[in-house]
Amino acid sequence: MSMEIVGDLLRLTALGGLGVAGVIAVLIWKKNRSTRVTFLRFVIQAVALAGIFYVLSYTVAPATEGLPPILFLYVMIVVFAMTIFLGRFFCGWLCPFGFIMDLESLVRKAAKTRYRIIPDKLNVALHKSRYVILLFFLLLPVVLWFLDPQPIMVSPLMAQLLAGHYRPYSILLDPLIPFIVPWKGQVIVNQVNLTYPYALSIITYAGANIGQVLAVAFVGVTLAGAFLVRRVWCRFCPTGASLAVVNRFKGFKWAPMLHIDKDEEKCTKCGVCKRVCPVQVNEVYEQKGGKIQTSQCMICARCVEMCPYEDTLKVKLGSKTLFKSRNWLEPSRNE
Amino acid sequence: MNEENIMNEPVDKRYMPEISRKEIDELKTTMKAASEKVIAENIERMKKADPHRPDAMKYFDEISNLFGMRQEEIQAEKEKGKKVIGYMCLFAPTELILAADAIPVRVNSGWYDTSKLGDRVVPVEVCPVIRSTIGAKMIELSPFMEQSDALISVLTCDGMTKLSEILSDYKLIWGMNVPRIKDSTQSLRFWNDEIKQMKTQIEQFTGNKITRKNLKEAIELSHRATKAFRRLQELRKGAPVIMGRDAMLVNQTFLWDDKLRWTEKTEALCDELEKRAQRKDWVCSPDTPRVMITGTPMFWPDNWKLPTLVEESNPQGIIVADEQCSGERILNDPVGVDEWSMDDMLNAIGERYLMASTCPCFTSKNGNQDRINWLLNKVKDWNVQGVVYYVVRGCMLYAMEYTRVKKALDKINIPVYYLDTEYTREDVGQMKTRVEAFLEMLTARVDM
Repeated sequence: MSMEIVGDLLRLTALGGLGVAGVIAVLIWKKNRSTRVTFLRFVIQAVALAGIFYVLSYTVAPATEGLPPILFLYVMIVVFAMTIFLGRFFCGWLCPFGFIMDLESLVRKAAKTRYRIIPDKLNVALHKSRYVILLFFLLLPVVLWFLDPQPIMVSPLMAQLLAGHYRPYSILLDPLIPFIVPWKGQVIVNQVNLTYPYALSIITYAGANIGQVLAVAFVGVTLAGAFLVRRVWCRFCPTGASLAVVNRFKGFKWAPMLHIDKDEEKCTKCGVCKRVCPVQVNEVYEQKGGKIQTSQCMICARCVEMCPYEDTLKVKLGSKTLFKSRNWLEPSRNE
Repeated sequence: MNEENIMNEPVDKRYMPEISRKEIDELKTTMKAASEKVIAENIERMKKADPHRPDAMKYFDEISNLFGMRQEEIQAEKEKGKKVIGYMCLFAPTELILAADAIPVRVNSGWYDTSKLGDRVVPVEVCPVIRSTIGAKMIELSPFMEQSDALISVLTCDGMTKLSEILSDYKLIWGMNVPRIKDSTQSLRFWNDEIKQMKTQIEQFTGNKITRKNLKEAIELSHRATKAFRRLQELRKGAPVIMGRDAMLVNQTFLWDDKLRWTEKTEALCDELEKRAQRKDWVCSPDTPRVMITGTPMFWPDNWKLPTLVEESNPQGIIVADEQCSGERILNDPVGVDEWSMDDMLNAIGERYLMASTCPCFTSKNGNQDRINWLLNKVKDWNVQGVVYYVVRGCMLYAMEYTRVKKALDKINIPVYYLDTEYTREDVGQMKTRVEAFLEMLTARVDM
């Protein structure tokens, strides 16, 4: 047992070390300030992918159907707690599904293809709809339980939420399911199970036959969608709602400690921040200076990176500035 | 299109009076000689104001001669088949012109004398920049205007709008319609369409396709120029290492110079200035009142009286910044490209020219708050002690924004002086008194 813990610690340390090494490598080699953070983000996303894969496969016996929901709940709680203070940092920097979509954007960029913009109104409507979707998934098990009460011993409602037919946490955790999950999957290549966010849930809930078709269709649609529209799923992903919901309440304005800050006086309203935003957040452009209040932003810091005016945009943690916009023209050549 | 027709065959002139060839030639010779004298005199005075002027300024002195080397160079390029595309407002997307292997030049006129000629076409109430440009065209004074194969005219102020119509008596004009409320989605969409349209027009006219690679190179070239410009501006933040007039001249020569060479020369100038800053080799006492100029554009060579007065008056002032479309606004903003696809590059160019502009022709929900913010920020960063709000008579938009600028600057306790003038040398004496009084007051404030 103790050896296992040591082994785990070693693995986690190795992972962390890899991450740090990647970050340092980017900082040393990437001189172009207008893409530095983007590269940094890719490194962190890759490490996060490995980390999430590791956490999810931890203590789970392979090929077991009944997964310990309690572990998922822990993950959920961690993600939630993080959200209160870090906003949608998770979506921008850690989420594996987001990583998939960012990789697709890379492919698109390499193909010199343009992205499409969805109308602002639709974007906002989609953003709002994520709360409806969230509510739907949270209420569904409760409704089902009232329709068909199950004689379960301890706290039946809780049990329904955790182990009933529709487990909202599993749906909300779906974006975390990376390409490869050891114990479940749709396509088996060289004994490795490949899966895709939501694919397994669709099959589980829709039944084997229709579910297969639906899952394939879902994978196709989201892959194509993310190729055309940057981060298309993030526009209405219910997990994003659960993460962002605290930012929306007035009393909790202090809560998102990690936030984007704007200096109104330095801003010339050149509009770069609005265009480069992968989820089309307008607030950074439109709001007056100070703390940017938005629940759409996932703090990927692309706007901060691309802002051509020194000190205008900042990523702040509390009152401490983590990263600020700089004159990215500066060390573009080797220095 | 019947472009050839417009250019070669005599068209019925809708505005311009018929002037005999002889009169044109006579006026041109006299005014050219006078202008060459003014250029030489301006430079002489700039040299005198700073006895050990940076060596790198020599190049800019040379290029500042509108009838000199650059004109010949453009002529040589033209003979090789390159097109020259002139423009009158900074909104013209020069990156597109460069990408199509054409030469962009700005053709606004700064000649005082020609504004009198412009009076034959438009009334004296009209802004002298417009009248002077008309006059210069009338007698074919401006070499760059004459060399232009087409002119991009952006309909910003009323003057520019009609100027393009008047000039269409001679030249092929491409109008660009600029939305007046800039920060709305539909405005940007509209303007981006104008940019795309301009791209097609330039491609057809020059016969060169604007490819992704060409455009990327052009954008990178303008990035490099902006970088050099910003370096120069950065140097002006500290104690004065360069006279304001010199820096203003450097900025303005960008409008007609070869972009790459300009960048290299400016970088060389910055190298030299950085060394001077290290040696604490200032051009004037660091206590000299620091002045910013804002308002109507000032065009080389004649309309150099205000900067000359400020920097030669007693007590002396030093111009550390300006907010003019003949000055710092030329290069302040880079084209922020997110992805190097044609689509995104064009959008980025559109945004850079429309949204980043602080031209008073715009308004929005906040009014032209962008300009106020820019001024406030400049005052802070460049440690400006007084602002001269320069307006020529007839320049409505700048004149009307004065009240707002004054209120904003009053709030941070920075004195503003409204200086209205004309395209004339007659009021220099009177202006001198006014400028000196203002600088006297600033000196008193600095000493306090």
